[in-house]
Amino acid sequence: MRAFIAAALLLAPMSVHAADGTRVQVKGEIIDTWCYYSGVMGGPDAVVGSAHHTCALWCSAGGIPVGLLAEDGTVYMVLKVGADDASAGGDTALKLAAHTVEADGMLYERDGLNYLIVSEVTTDSDIVNRTHEDYGTIPAFAFPDPNK
Amino acid sequence: MWRATLFAAALANPALANSPFPVDLGGPYALTTQHGETRTHKDPNGHAQLVFFGYANCLNICSAALPLMAQVTDALAEDGHGVTPVLITIDPIQDTVETMDAPLAALHPDFIGLTGDEQDLAQAYDAFNVEFEKLFQDPEYGWIYSHTGFIHLMDAEGELLTLFPPILSAEQMTGIVRKYVNGSS
Repeated sequence: MRAFIAAALLLAPMSVHAADGTRVQVKGEIIDTWCYYSGVMGGPDAVVGSAHHTCALWCSAGGIPVGLLAEDGTVYMVLKVGADDASAGGDTALKLAAHTVEADGMLYERDGLNYLIVSEVTTDSDIVNRTHEDYGTIPAFAFPDPNK
Repeated sequence: MWRATLFAAALANPALANSPFPVDLGGPYALTTQHGETRTHKDPNGHAQLVFFGYANCLNICSAALPLMAQVTDALAEDGHGVTPVLITIDPIQDTVETMDAPLAALHPDFIGLTGDEQDLAQAYDAFNVEFEKLFQDPEYGWIYSHTGFIHLMDAEGELLTLFPPILSAEQMTGIVRKYVNGSS
């Protein structure tokens, strides 16, 4: 019996399938997941919102998947947004960078990660997280000095 | 339309029943390695595969994803698990049999780079729903692309096991891959 349970646990990751998705509504900010997790540009409070908008655009255009940082701190890795197939760099992902949104979609929990396929952005509140007031531009070189 | 298609596919398509996501990623392809050999979606050594679409001299997401794949490959090798890191190029003009070897060898000796003609590569792109576009031409590095950044974990037969965003730590990704290769061995 113990061997059976052990085998079942080992095989568990293989048994997930598409039907495991859950329809969810999430409110939060569309974030640059690379800078948020890596810490290379500063702490998590500095790499969100208006302070990090320009860098978020560059990261998204370069292929970094965008995430949705929910109000409770959960980060959802966004696989698709609406009709835009691109998880990064697409017109929709670029338009929504650093925006606070309400999203309706399907949640797929895999290996401790939350993957979100956004079927519809029901509310787009634009950039409301005014982090530039505390941090300026993060990183500073994201916005070139026009005098140089 | 996309939403209706997605939900309908997830509910009705038997081909997706064993997919971890409501999209059917992966499929047959036959391309050419940096060593001039033909390689298909199946790993000839029976190893699991980490598959990424990019280009060897990419300074953007590939510079995060490709070293991460190499680190995970090394970590799993210490456990006795063979995993093959695979880069399928989105730029066959810059990534040829002659040019891919050096940058990939610098990352990991087992790294496989795949290139091919337009038709053969299109088959691989279609199988993985890969989209990309040219952004601008760098005078030193050539064309710079915007492209998708997820790493695909495939089994030895080329079936999708799961996806990884390239922002995970090597330790976290190694732990997840280890669960799958343990389960399939």
